[in-house]
Amino acid sequence: MDPNILVLLALVTSIASIVVALLVVSVRDLVYASSLLAVLGGLTAALTAIIGYYLVAAFIIIVYVGAAVMFIIISISMLGGGGLETWNRGRGIIAALISLIILALAFSRINITQYAFPVSVDSSIVANSLLTHYAPLLAVLLVALAVTVLEALAVARRG
Amino acid sequence: MLLLSYIIVTTAIVIASIGVYGLVSSRNLIRQLLSIEVIFNSVILLMLIFIGGNPHLATMIAIILVSVVAGEVVIVMALILSMYRSVKTLLSDPLEEPGV
Repeated sequence: MDPNILVLLALVTSIASIVVALLVVSVRDLVYASSLLAVLGGLTAALTAIIGYYLVAAFIIIVYVGAAVMFIIISISMLGGGGLETWNRGRGIIAALISLIILALAFSRINITQYAFPVSVDSSIVANSLLTHYAPLLAVLLVALAVTVLEALAVARRG
Repeated sequence: MLLLSYIIVTTAIVIASIGVYGLVSSRNLIRQLLSIEVIFNSVILLMLIFIGGNPHLATMIAIILVSVVAGEVVIVMALILSMYRSVKTLLSDPLEEPGV
């Protein structure tokens, strides 16, 4: 793809991501807020695909948006609003500004000019590494996820 | 494409700050969970940019990260559901009282 179009696409997606993130934390209805989180996940996947990580983008859409965020949306729809929400916007703005300054200062120190984007990822190398070199890690992850789901079911049923 | 990296790093930093705003300003547990998820979205973008030197390793870490976050969401929602059944509110204020 033409590099200028790629940059323009990244710019539009970035602006949309910031607007949607603002809506997630400020919309009063929690069902709408969680639905907007799914949109934010989609936009993150789009940004990920723009920099060349197509496999990660697919994984974000399938596992994160398709399973985790859908679980949040369904749970909130079942719970309802949960009563009146209290806000302390002044404290939030101060914390956001402090974190913005700290993150900007921290990441301005790191040199990112050495990497060329979009990257080229060979999915067969990733799959081979995961199933051979990182196989114990994958096994631990699968067991941890299975235990997590069982634990969640136990906590939810106990009440 | 240096500009691409800068656009995404700037976006990720702004999104992380927005997540911190939601996390600190609201007392609703679900809003706080949603804010943490907003921060996660920025973390995954920053991680992919800064491990750009080894894209295969970055892909593997991202896949594991997304899987762990999916598990974390399930556990936190179960805990919120359990708390809602016992104290009938989603606000985090009752959690600060002893004996809850």
